[in-house]
Amino acid sequence: MRLAGRIGGAALSLLMVAVLGFFLFRVVPGDPVVSMTRGRPTTEALQAELRAQFGLDRPLHEQFWSYFTSLLQGDLGTSFTFRRPVSEVILERLGPTVLLVGTATLIAVLLGLWLGVRAAWRRDSAFDRVTTGVSLTLWAVPTFWLGMLLMMVTGDLFPSRGMRDTDTPPDFLSQALDVGHHLVLPSVTLVAVVCAEYALVMRSSLLEEMHAPYLTTARAKGLRDDLVRRRHAVPNAVLPAITLVFLRFGLVVAGAITTETVFSWPGLGLLFYDALTGPDYFLLQGLLVVTAGAVVVMNLLADVLHGVLDPRVKVV
Amino acid sequence: MLELKNLTVHYGHKRVVHDVSLTLAPGQMLGLAGESGSGKSTVAMSVLRLLPKTARVEGEVLLDGEDVRTMSWGRLRAVRWASASIVFQGAMHSLNPVRRVGEQIAEPMRLHSTPGSVAELLEQVELPREKARAYPHELSGGQKQRVMIAMALACGPRLVIADEPTTALDVVVQAQVLAVLTRLVAEQDLGLLMISHDLSVLAQTCEDLAVMQGGELVERGRTHEVIANPRHPHTAALTAAFPVIGAPQHRWTEPAPAPQPLLRVRDLVVDYGRTRAVDGVDLTIGRGEIVALVGQSGSGKTTLARTIMGLRKPSSGRVIFDGAEVAAKGRALKAFRRQVQLVLQDPSSALNPRHRVFDAVAEGLRVHGVDGDHEALVTAAVERAELRPASLYLDALPHELSGGQQQRVVIAGALVLQPRLLVADEPVASLDASVRGEVVALLLRLRAELGLASLLITHDLGLAWQIADRVAVMHQGKIVEQGPVEQVLLTPSHDYTRALLRAVPQV
Repeated sequence: MRLAGRIGGAALSLLMVAVLGFFLFRVVPGDPVVSMTRGRPTTEALQAELRAQFGLDRPLHEQFWSYFTSLLQGDLGTSFTFRRPVSEVILERLGPTVLLVGTATLIAVLLGLWLGVRAAWRRDSAFDRVTTGVSLTLWAVPTFWLGMLLMMVTGDLFPSRGMRDTDTPPDFLSQALDVGHHLVLPSVTLVAVVCAEYALVMRSSLLEEMHAPYLTTARAKGLRDDLVRRRHAVPNAVLPAITLVFLRFGLVVAGAITTETVFSWPGLGLLFYDALTGPDYFLLQGLLVVTAGAVVVMNLLADVLHGVLDPRVKVV
Repeated sequence: MLELKNLTVHYGHKRVVHDVSLTLAPGQMLGLAGESGSGKSTVAMSVLRLLPKTARVEGEVLLDGEDVRTMSWGRLRAVRWASASIVFQGAMHSLNPVRRVGEQIAEPMRLHSTPGSVAELLEQVELPREKARAYPHELSGGQKQRVMIAMALACGPRLVIADEPTTALDVVVQAQVLAVLTRLVAEQDLGLLMISHDLSVLAQTCEDLAVMQGGELVERGRTHEVIANPRHPHTAALTAAFPVIGAPQHRWTEPAPAPQPLLRVRDLVVDYGRTRAVDGVDLTIGRGEIVALVGQSGSGKTTLARTIMGLRKPSSGRVIFDGAEVAAKGRALKAFRRQVQLVLQDPSSALNPRHRVFDAVAEGLRVHGVDGDHEALVTAAVERAELRPASLYLDALPHELSGGQQQRVVIAGALVLQPRLLVADEPVASLDASVRGEVVALLLRLRAELGLASLLITHDLGLAWQIADRVAVMHQGKIVEQGPVEQVLLTPSHDYTRALLRAVPQV
C-alpha cells in the first residue's frame, strides 16, 4: 500500500517536471530560429518556414499539447541544433555521464561514509578535526572554481579537456586507460563536492548512536571495539546516510553539469550547457525530463531501500 | 565470587560512588536499592569495567579473585559475559533495533565459543523458538526483557547483574519476568545482583539487601530484617514510600458521599482500524472526585483518556461534561479542553527543554487567549504546585530542575487554566520514591483546596489505594469492575482484578 503511494507520488512529480520543463525554457531569452541561422543570410520567409517546420508559430497551448502527447509516446521531439531526434542525441551522450557520475558517486559514498565513521568514532581527534574542517571547506567551495583550481595545480599531469585523445591506439586497453586518465580530474572535482556532505552526515548520524544503550550491551558481551562499531553502531547509523546518498542524487547531477562544462566532458551536462545557448527547446525539455526523472527514481529507490535496510519500516 | 573493596568512582571532581564494599557468593541473590543518582548503576557498570573513560575508579573489583580494574583488554573481553553478564533495562533500547534477536543472543556464544542453542535459551525464558527471527520492535516489553535474560544466560555465566530489569513493565508482566529470572538463577545456582529503585521488587526476589544513597552504602543485611527494622532513615523512607494495599496508614483520603457527576462517559467505543481499543465503556467522574483507571499496558486506558479529552474521536458513544455533550470541533471543543488538563508520565519529555518554566506554564494562557496579568497567574499556579517562592523557578530551564520539580511545573501548566478535571497518566511512575509521596500529596491537596477532580491512569494499584475514591479496572478495552477503592481492592469480584492484585510485589 505504502509502496503504491510512493510510486504514485513519483509519477506525479514526473508529470510536474514535464509541464514545468515546457514552460520554463520558453522564458529563456533568445530565439532558436535566429541562433539556428546565425552567420547565414536568411530571409524572413525562410525563418517563417523554419518556425512552421518546428511548430513554433502555433499558439503556446497547442505547442504544449503536441509536446505532451508525443512525450507520453516516448517521443522527445527533434533538436534544432543537431537536426536529429532528441532521444538519439541524449542516448549518445548518456554513456560518458553515467561513467563520470557513477565513478564519482561510488568513490564519494565509500570514502565519505568511511571518513564519517572514523571521524565520529574518534571524536575530537586530529583525524576528526581535519576531516570535518576539510569537508566543510569543500562543501562551501563552488564546483567550477574547484575544477579550475585542480586544473592549474596539477598542470600537465592529467588531461583537462574531453574524454579521449585522438591519437590513442584503437585497442581496448589503451582506450580504457586513456579514458581513465581523462576521468581523473572531473571525477576528483565531483567527488570532492559530494563526498564532503556524505562524510558530515555519516559523522553526525554515528555520533547520535554513540551513546545508545545497545552499544553498552555489545561491549558487555565482550566484543572488540571495532566489532561494536561494525556490527552494531554502523548498521544503525548508516540508515539516514544511505537515504541521503539517494536523496542528494540531484546534487550530483547539478555538480555534473558544472564539472562537465569546466572539463569539456562530452556528457549530458555539457549538452545541457550547449542547449541553453540556443535555446534548443526540445533538447532542453528532453534533458530536463531525463535528469529529473533520474532524480525522482532515485528518491523512490531511497524510500524502498530504507524499508529493506530498516526492519522497523514496512515497505509493502 | 564478586567482591567490591572500597570502590570509589569520580567523574571529574564529582564523586558518584564512595567507599562501597560488597561481597556476593555463588547462588546468592543480592538486591541493591537506591534512587536515581545514588550510584547503584555505576556500581553495576564497574563490575565489567563498562564506565565511560572519564570515570576514575579506585578500590578493588574482584571477580573470582581477579581485579577487573587491572585486567588486560583481552582478558577483560574474555571475562565479559562469560563470567558475568548483565540484564539491562531491555524494554527500552538495549537491543540493537536492526538485528534479529536470535542473532543477538547467538553473538556472545560465537564470540566466547560456548556450545548451546538459541532455541533452548528461548525455551528457558518461556518464549516460542520462532521469536528468534523477530526484530526487537516486533516484541512486547516483557518479551524483550525475556530476550535480554536469555542473552545474559547464553554463555553460562556464574554472576548475573540485573539493572532495573522490570522498570517500565506493568505489574503482571513484571511478576512474570521476575519469576523467570529467579527460577533460572536458582536452577543454575548463579549469583544475582539485582538493582532497582523499587524496594518491593527487591524484597520479593532477594534474600539480601543493600541500600545506597548519594554514592554511599547506607545499609546492608537480610532483606526481611532490613525492611522490618531499618537502621538508616533513608531505608525507612524508602520502605514507607511504597504503599501497602489494605494498610490504613497508606490510605490518605476519606471516602466521600457520592458527588454530583462532572463527566459521564456512556457506551464509548473506539476502533483503531480493525482493533477495538475501547469497547463499550461507561464511566462517571463526580465533581472533586479522584477516579483511578487501572489496567495493564495495552488495556485501552490511554486511548480512553485521549478520547475523553477530545484528542480522538469516538467510533460511537457519548462523552458528557457538566451536563453537555462534548463538542467534536471548533470553539466549543477548545473551551472544553481548557477545563480538562493533562499531566503526563515523564515530565522530562513533556516539557520543551528550551522553554523556561514561565513560558511552559504560560503557554496554555496564550493558546486560550486568556486576558489578565499572565505573570500573576503563572506565579499563582507555580506556587499552587508548591514551587515556592515562584520567583526562584520562573527563569529555570527544565534540565536545571529535579524530576519532582519538573512534574510540579507540568502540574502548574495544567492549573494555570483553572481546570475542573485533571487527567493524569502515570503521574508518579517516573519519580523517585521519596518525591513520589510529595507529588501524590499535592494532588490530594489540590482536590481539597480547588475541588479539582482527577482521572488517574495507572498500573500502580498502590497509588490507587493511596488517593483514589473509586477504581475502575480496565481489561481488553472493557471496564470489568468499578466501585469504591476499598471494595474493589480488598474484596475484588472479577478474576482479572484478583490477578492484578496478586502480581503486585509487596514490601
